[in-house]
Amino acid sequence: MRQQGIAIEKIRDALKASVFAGEVLEGEYITDIYASDLMSDVLAFGKAGSLLLTGLNTIQAAISAYVAEFKGIIILRNKMPDTEILTFAKEKHLFVLSTDADMYEACVKIANIKGEVPVIENITETTKKPGIITTHTFFIDGQDFASAGIVSTQVKSILKSIGYDSLLIRRVAISTYEAEMNVVMHAKRADVFLSASDKEIGVIINDEGKGIENIELAMKEGYSTATEEQRAMGFGAGMGLPNIKKNSDVFKIESKINKGTFIEIIFYVK
Amino acid sequence: MKLQEIINKLTLNVLTVVEDKDITGVFISDMLSDVMSNAQSGNLWITVQSHKNIVSAANLIDISAVIVTYNKKVPEDTIELANRYHVVILSSPLATFELASRLVEAGIK
Repeated sequence: MRQQGIAIEKIRDALKASVFAGEVLEGEYITDIYASDLMSDVLAFGKAGSLLLTGLNTIQAAISAYVAEFKGIIILRNKMPDTEILTFAKEKHLFVLSTDADMYEACVKIANIKGEVPVIENITETTKKPGIITTHTFFIDGQDFASAGIVSTQVKSILKSIGYDSLLIRRVAISTYEAEMNVVMHAKRADVFLSASDKEIGVIINDEGKGIENIELAMKEGYSTATEEQRAMGFGAGMGLPNIKKNSDVFKIESKINKGTFIEIIFYVK
Repeated sequence: MKLQEIINKLTLNVLTVVEDKDITGVFISDMLSDVMSNAQSGNLWITVQSHKNIVSAANLIDISAVIVTYNKKVPEDTIELANRYHVVILSSPLATFELASRLVEAGIK
Protein backbone atom coordinates (compact mmCIF):
# COMPACT_ATOMS: atom_id res chain seq x y z
CA MET A 1 0.00 0.00 0.00
CA ARG A 2 1.45 3.37 -1.00
CA GLN A 3 0.94 6.42 1.16
CA GLN A 4 2.43 9.85 1.34
CA GLY A 5 4.51 10.52 4.39
CA ILE A 6 6.43 13.20 6.21
CA ALA A 7 9.87 12.53 7.65
CA ILE A 8 9.90 12.85 11.42
CA GLU A 9 13.29 14.56 11.04
CA LYS A 10 11.63 17.34 9.06
CA ILE A 11 8.95 17.76 11.71
CA ARG A 12 11.61 17.93 14.40
CA ASP A 13 13.42 20.65 12.48
CA ALA A 14 10.27 22.60 11.65
CA LEU A 15 9.20 22.65 15.30
CA LYS A 16 12.73 22.94 16.68
CA ALA A 17 11.68 20.02 18.84
CA SER A 18 13.75 18.10 21.36
CA VAL A 19 13.76 14.33 20.97
CA PHE A 20 13.29 12.47 24.23
CA ALA A 21 12.70 8.96 22.98
CA GLY A 22 13.42 7.32 19.67
CA GLU A 23 16.98 6.38 18.76
CA VAL A 24 17.05 6.90 15.02
CA LEU A 25 14.88 9.47 13.31
CA GLU A 26 16.49 9.05 9.93
CA GLY A 27 14.30 7.16 7.56
CA GLU A 28 11.28 7.34 9.82
CA TYR A 29 8.05 8.64 8.36
CA ILE A 30 4.58 9.30 9.57
CA THR A 31 1.52 9.28 7.40
CA ASP A 32 -0.77 11.45 9.46
CA ILE A 33 -0.85 13.94 12.29
CA TYR A 34 -3.53 13.70 14.94
CA ALA A 35 -3.88 16.87 16.97
CA SER A 36 -5.95 16.38 20.11
CA ASP A 37 -6.04 16.44 23.89
CA LEU A 38 -8.91 13.99 24.09
CA MET A 39 -7.56 10.46 24.23
CA SER A 40 -10.91 8.76 23.54
CA ASP A 41 -10.96 10.57 20.23
CA VAL A 42 -7.42 9.40 19.51
CA LEU A 43 -8.44 5.84 20.13
CA ALA A 44 -11.60 6.17 18.10
CA PHE A 45 -10.35 8.10 15.08
CA GLY A 46 -6.56 8.00 15.00
CA LYS A 47 -4.90 6.10 12.18
CA ALA A 48 -1.96 3.75 12.56
CA GLY A 49 1.37 5.28 11.61
CA SER A 50 0.42 8.76 12.83
CA LEU A 51 2.10 11.18 15.18
CA LEU A 52 0.05 12.52 18.07
CA LEU A 53 0.24 16.24 18.62
CA THR A 54 -0.94 16.99 22.13
CA GLY A 55 -0.72 19.21 25.17
CA LEU A 56 -1.45 16.23 27.38
CA ASN A 57 1.85 15.40 29.02
CA THR A 58 0.76 12.22 30.75
CA ILE A 59 1.19 8.49 30.46
CA GLN A 60 -2.35 8.38 29.07
CA ALA A 61 -1.16 10.14 25.92
CA ALA A 62 1.58 7.56 25.49
CA ILE A 63 -0.73 4.63 26.11
CA SER A 64 -3.34 6.00 23.71
CA ALA A 65 -0.72 6.48 21.04
CA TYR A 66 0.47 2.93 21.58
CA VAL A 67 -2.99 1.37 21.48
CA ALA A 68 -3.87 3.38 18.36
CA GLU A 69 -0.59 2.21 16.77
CA PHE A 70 0.85 5.68 16.32
CA LYS A 71 4.54 6.16 15.72
CA GLY A 72 4.91 8.61 18.55
CA ILE A 73 3.88 11.80 20.28
CA ILE A 74 4.83 15.46 20.21
CA ILE A 75 4.19 17.29 23.46
CA LEU A 76 3.42 20.97 23.14
CA ARG A 77 4.29 24.10 25.07
CA ASN A 78 7.68 22.91 26.26
CA LYS A 79 6.31 20.41 28.73
CA MET A 80 8.87 17.81 29.75
CA PRO A 81 7.80 14.17 29.59
CA ASP A 82 8.58 12.29 32.80
CA THR A 83 10.47 9.03 33.21
CA GLU A 84 7.28 6.95 33.33
CA ILE A 85 6.29 8.20 29.88
CA LEU A 86 9.80 7.75 28.49
CA THR A 87 10.25 4.25 29.87
CA PHE A 88 6.94 3.20 28.37
CA ALA A 89 7.72 4.92 25.06
CA LYS A 90 11.13 3.31 24.75
CA GLU A 91 9.77 -0.12 25.48
CA LYS A 92 6.99 0.25 22.92
CA HIS A 93 9.25 1.97 20.35
CA LEU A 94 7.33 5.23 20.33
CA PHE A 95 8.95 8.56 19.45
CA VAL A 96 8.57 11.31 22.04
CA LEU A 97 9.31 14.88 21.00
CA SER A 98 8.71 18.13 22.79
CA THR A 99 8.28 21.59 21.28
CA ASP A 100 7.63 25.02 22.71
CA ALA A 101 5.00 25.68 20.05
CA ASP A 102 1.33 25.59 20.92
CA MET A 103 -1.18 23.48 19.00
CA TYR A 104 -2.02 25.98 16.27
CA GLU A 105 1.58 27.05 15.75
CA ALA A 106 2.70 23.44 15.49
CA CYS A 107 0.01 22.62 12.93
CA VAL A 108 0.95 25.63 10.83
CA LYS A 109 4.64 24.76 10.91
CA ILE A 110 4.04 21.13 9.96
CA ALA A 111 1.65 22.12 7.18
CA ASN A 112 4.36 24.38 5.79
CA ILE A 113 7.01 21.71 5.56
CA LYS A 114 8.46 22.11 2.10
CA GLY A 115 10.35 19.74 0.02
CA GLU A 116 9.79 16.31 -1.29
CA VAL A 117 6.94 14.35 0.14
CA PRO A 118 8.06 10.79 -0.40
CA VAL A 119 5.73 8.04 -1.34
CA ILE A 120 6.05 5.18 1.07
CA GLU A 121 5.58 1.68 -0.16
CA ASN A 122 3.92 -1.01 1.85
CA ILE A 123 3.76 1.10 4.93
CA THR A 124 0.92 -0.92 6.35
CA GLU A 125 2.41 -4.29 5.43
CA THR A 126 4.63 -4.90 8.43
CA THR A 127 2.61 -2.86 10.84
CA LYS A 128 -0.63 -4.17 9.50
CA LYS A 129 -2.87 -5.13 12.31
CA PRO A 130 -6.41 -6.31 11.90
CA GLY A 131 -9.12 -3.67 11.73
CA ILE A 132 -9.89 -2.25 15.13
CA ILE A 133 -13.57 -2.83 15.67
CA THR A 134 -13.84 -0.70 18.76
CA THR A 135 -11.94 0.92 21.59
CA HIS A 136 -13.25 2.14 24.92
CA THR A 137 -11.83 3.80 27.98
CA PHE A 138 -13.07 3.41 31.53
CA PHE A 139 -12.09 4.62 34.98
CA ILE A 140 -12.01 2.75 38.24
CA ASP A 141 -12.11 4.47 41.62
CA GLY A 142 -10.00 2.76 44.21
CA GLN A 143 -11.60 1.62 47.48
CA ASP A 144 -15.05 2.00 45.88
CA PHE A 145 -16.44 -1.46 46.64
CA ALA A 146 -19.93 -0.31 45.80
CA SER A 147 -19.08 0.10 42.13
CA ALA A 148 -16.55 -2.70 41.90
CA GLY A 149 -17.24 -4.88 38.91
CA ILE A 150 -18.96 -2.19 36.87
CA VAL A 151 -16.12 -1.85 34.36
CA SER A 152 -15.76 -5.58 33.71
CA THR A 153 -19.53 -5.80 33.34
CA GLN A 154 -19.45 -3.06 30.71
CA VAL A 155 -16.56 -4.76 28.94
CA LYS A 156 -18.55 -7.97 28.83
CA SER A 157 -21.63 -6.21 27.41
CA ILE A 158 -19.56 -4.56 24.70
CA LEU A 159 -17.90 -7.82 23.69
CA LYS A 160 -21.23 -9.61 23.75
CA SER A 161 -22.81 -7.03 21.48
CA ILE A 162 -19.95 -7.43 18.99
CA GLY A 163 -20.61 -11.15 19.01
CA TYR A 164 -17.42 -12.81 20.21
CA ASP A 165 -17.46 -16.44 21.31
CA SER A 166 -18.90 -16.81 24.80
CA LEU A 167 -15.91 -18.72 26.16
CA LEU A 168 -13.60 -15.97 24.95
CA ILE A 169 -15.81 -13.35 26.56
CA ARG A 170 -15.73 -15.30 29.81
CA ARG A 171 -11.91 -15.28 29.83
CA VAL A 172 -11.81 -11.53 29.18
CA ALA A 173 -14.52 -10.87 31.78
CA ILE A 174 -12.75 -12.90 34.46
CA SER A 175 -9.40 -11.26 33.78
CA THR A 176 -10.83 -7.75 33.72
CA TYR A 177 -12.81 -8.40 36.88
CA GLU A 178 -9.79 -9.67 38.78
CA ALA A 179 -7.76 -6.67 37.65
CA GLU A 180 -10.61 -4.34 38.57
CA MET A 181 -10.88 -5.86 42.05
CA ASN A 182 -7.15 -5.48 42.54
CA VAL A 183 -7.48 -1.77 41.79
CA VAL A 184 -10.42 -1.36 44.17
CA MET A 185 -8.65 -3.26 46.94
CA HIS A 186 -5.14 -1.92 46.58
CA ALA A 187 -4.96 1.25 44.48
CA LYS A 188 -6.25 4.82 44.34
CA ARG A 189 -7.67 4.82 40.80
CA ALA A 190 -7.06 3.37 37.37
CA ASP A 191 -7.61 3.90 33.67
CA VAL A 192 -8.79 0.95 31.63
CA PHE A 193 -8.38 0.72 27.85
CA LEU A 194 -10.23 -1.88 25.86
CA SER A 195 -9.43 -2.51 22.21
CA ALA A 196 -11.19 -5.19 20.25
CA SER A 197 -10.53 -6.37 16.72
CA ASP A 198 -11.19 -9.39 14.61
CA LYS A 199 -7.84 -10.86 15.64
CA GLU A 200 -7.43 -9.95 19.28
CA ILE A 201 -8.88 -8.26 22.34
CA GLY A 202 -6.59 -6.13 24.47
CA VAL A 203 -7.18 -4.74 27.94
CA ILE A 204 -4.81 -2.32 29.65
CA ILE A 205 -5.29 -1.47 33.33
CA ASN A 206 -3.03 1.32 34.48
CA ASP A 207 -3.39 2.23 38.12
CA GLU A 208 -2.12 4.87 40.48
CA GLY A 209 -1.39 3.46 43.90
CA LYS A 210 0.99 1.73 46.22
CA GLY A 211 2.31 -0.65 43.58
CA ILE A 212 3.44 -4.25 44.05
CA GLU A 213 6.54 -4.86 46.13
CA ASN A 214 7.34 -8.29 44.75
CA ILE A 215 5.63 -9.28 41.52
CA GLU A 216 6.95 -12.84 41.58
CA LEU A 217 5.43 -13.33 45.02
CA ALA A 218 2.19 -11.68 43.97
CA MET A 219 1.92 -14.15 41.09
CA LYS A 220 2.01 -17.11 43.48
CA GLU A 221 -1.37 -18.73 44.03
CA GLY A 222 -2.62 -18.05 47.53
CA TYR A 223 -0.33 -15.10 48.23
CA SER A 224 -2.48 -12.16 49.29
CA THR A 225 -2.07 -8.70 50.75
CA ALA A 226 -5.79 -8.20 51.32
CA THR A 227 -7.11 -6.86 54.62
CA GLU A 228 -9.22 -8.93 57.03
CA GLU A 229 -12.26 -6.93 56.01
CA GLN A 230 -11.67 -7.67 52.35
CA ARG A 231 -11.21 -11.38 53.05
CA ALA A 232 -14.48 -11.40 54.97
CA MET A 233 -16.14 -10.25 51.76
CA GLY A 234 -14.68 -13.19 49.91
CA PHE A 235 -11.85 -11.28 48.28
CA GLY A 236 -8.15 -11.72 48.79
CA ALA A 237 -7.92 -15.43 48.06
CA GLY A 238 -4.61 -14.66 46.41
CA MET A 239 -5.80 -15.93 43.04
CA GLY A 240 -6.30 -12.65 41.19
CA LEU A 241 -3.08 -12.29 39.20
CA PRO A 242 -2.67 -16.04 38.62
CA ASN A 243 -6.27 -16.11 37.31
CA ILE A 244 -5.55 -13.32 34.87
CA LYS A 245 -2.44 -15.07 33.61
CA LYS A 246 -4.27 -18.36 33.28
CA ASN A 247 -7.09 -16.85 31.25
CA SER A 248 -5.06 -14.69 28.88
CA ASP A 249 -2.78 -15.36 25.92
CA VAL A 250 -0.32 -12.57 26.70
CA PHE A 251 0.09 -11.09 30.18
CA LYS A 252 2.43 -8.21 30.97
CA ILE A 253 2.77 -6.58 34.35
CA GLU A 254 4.97 -3.76 35.60
CA SER A 255 4.89 -1.97 38.90
CA LYS A 256 6.60 0.81 40.78
CA ILE A 257 6.30 1.27 44.54
CA ASN A 258 4.20 4.29 45.47
CA LYS A 259 3.50 4.95 41.82
CA GLY A 260 1.24 2.15 40.58
CA THR A 261 0.83 -0.94 38.49
CA PHE A 262 0.45 -1.40 34.74
CA ILE A 263 -1.15 -4.52 33.35
CA GLU A 264 -1.62 -5.39 29.68
CA ILE A 265 -3.64 -8.47 28.76
CA ILE A 266 -4.16 -9.83 25.25
CA PHE A 267 -6.62 -12.49 24.09
CA TYR A 268 -6.39 -13.99 20.61
CA VAL A 269 -9.60 -14.39 18.69
CA LYS A 270 -9.72 -17.75 16.99
CA MET B 1 -33.56 -29.32 35.32
CA LYS B 2 -35.04 -25.83 35.17
CA LEU B 3 -34.53 -23.11 37.76
CA GLN B 4 -38.23 -22.65 38.47
CA GLU B 5 -38.55 -26.37 39.23
CA ILE B 6 -35.78 -26.14 41.81
CA ILE B 7 -37.31 -23.04 43.39
CA ASN B 8 -40.59 -24.95 43.77
CA LYS B 9 -39.09 -28.26 44.94
CA LEU B 10 -36.92 -26.63 47.61
CA THR B 11 -39.28 -23.75 48.44
CA LEU B 12 -36.54 -21.19 48.04
CA ASN B 13 -37.28 -17.53 48.77
CA VAL B 14 -37.23 -15.44 45.62
CA LEU B 15 -35.69 -11.98 46.11
CA THR B 16 -35.46 -10.77 42.52
CA VAL B 17 -37.22 -11.18 39.21
CA VAL B 18 -36.80 -14.76 38.01
CA GLU B 19 -35.91 -15.76 34.50
CA ASP B 20 -36.23 -19.49 34.03
CA LYS B 21 -33.12 -21.24 32.79
CA ASP B 22 -31.44 -24.62 32.62
CA ILE B 23 -29.29 -25.54 35.59
CA THR B 24 -25.94 -27.04 34.64
CA GLY B 25 -24.73 -27.90 38.11
CA VAL B 26 -23.96 -26.46 41.54
CA PHE B 27 -20.98 -24.46 42.77
CA ILE B 28 -20.39 -23.77 46.44
CA SER B 29 -17.88 -21.15 47.52
CA ASP B 30 -17.60 -17.92 49.49
CA MET B 31 -14.45 -16.73 47.76
CA LEU B 32 -15.09 -14.64 44.67
CA SER B 33 -11.90 -15.46 42.77
CA ASP B 34 -12.70 -19.11 43.28
CA VAL B 35 -16.17 -18.68 41.76
CA MET B 36 -14.83 -16.58 38.88
CA SER B 37 -12.28 -19.17 38.10
CA ASN B 38 -14.12 -22.44 38.56
CA ALA B 39 -17.88 -22.06 38.43
CA GLN B 40 -19.48 -22.93 35.10
CA SER B 41 -22.00 -20.99 33.10
CA GLY B 42 -25.52 -22.02 34.16
CA ASN B 43 -24.45 -23.19 37.62
CA LEU B 44 -26.36 -22.49 40.81
CA TRP B 45 -24.00 -20.64 43.13
CA ILE B 46 -24.49 -21.28 46.85
CA THR B 47 -22.86 -18.79 49.19
CA VAL B 48 -23.18 -16.86 52.46
CA GLN B 49 -21.92 -13.69 50.79
CA SER B 50 -24.68 -11.19 50.12
CA HIS B 51 -22.90 -7.94 49.26
CA LYS B 52 -23.25 -6.17 45.92
CA ASN B 53 -20.17 -7.74 44.39
CA ILE B 54 -21.82 -11.14 44.15
CA VAL B 55 -23.98 -9.62 41.41
CA SER B 56 -21.04 -8.68 39.16
CA ALA B 57 -19.36 -12.00 39.78
CA ALA B 58 -22.54 -13.95 38.99
CA ASN B 59 -23.23 -11.85 35.91
CA LEU B 60 -19.74 -12.11 34.47
CA ILE B 61 -19.71 -15.88 34.37
CA ASP B 62 -23.42 -16.40 33.68
CA ILE B 63 -24.46 -18.04 36.92
CA SER B 64 -28.13 -19.08 36.65
CA ALA B 65 -28.93 -18.07 40.24
CA VAL B 66 -27.26 -17.22 43.54
CA ILE B 67 -28.66 -18.94 46.63
CA VAL B 68 -27.78 -17.24 49.91
CA THR B 69 -28.00 -19.65 52.81
CA TYR B 70 -28.51 -19.41 56.62
CA ASN B 71 -31.22 -16.82 55.93
CA LYS B 72 -28.47 -14.21 55.69
CA LYS B 73 -30.02 -10.83 55.00
CA VAL B 74 -29.49 -9.64 51.44
CA PRO B 75 -29.20 -5.84 51.34
CA GLU B 76 -31.45 -3.71 49.14
CA ASP B 77 -28.60 -2.47 46.97
CA THR B 78 -27.64 -6.03 46.08
CA ILE B 79 -31.21 -6.82 45.01
CA GLU B 80 -31.48 -3.58 43.04
CA LEU B 81 -28.25 -4.25 41.18
CA ALA B 82 -29.28 -7.87 40.60
CA ASN B 83 -32.55 -6.84 38.99
CA ARG B 84 -30.70 -4.35 36.83
CA TYR B 85 -28.35 -7.02 35.52
CA HIS B 86 -30.91 -9.84 35.41
CA VAL B 87 -29.13 -11.85 38.09
CA VAL B 88 -31.44 -14.12 40.09
CA ILE B 89 -30.97 -14.06 43.87
CA LEU B 90 -32.68 -16.64 46.03
CA SER B 91 -32.41 -17.32 49.72
CA SER B 92 -32.83 -20.28 52.04
CA PRO B 93 -32.98 -20.69 55.81
CA LEU B 94 -31.02 -23.92 55.49
CA ALA B 95 -27.34 -24.41 56.17
CA THR B 96 -25.22 -24.81 53.04
CA PHE B 97 -24.62 -28.52 53.53
CA GLU B 98 -28.32 -29.20 54.09
CA LEU B 99 -29.29 -27.26 51.01
CA ALA B 100 -26.72 -29.13 48.95
CA SER B 101 -28.11 -32.49 50.18
CA ARG B 102 -31.64 -31.43 49.21
CA LEU B 103 -30.40 -30.47 45.75
CA VAL B 104 -28.79 -33.88 45.35
CA GLU B 105 -32.06 -35.52 46.46
CA ALA B 106 -33.93 -33.42 43.92
CA GLY B 107 -31.73 -34.89 41.24
CA ILE B 108 -29.15 -32.18 40.50
CA LYS B 109 -25.73 -33.57 39.69
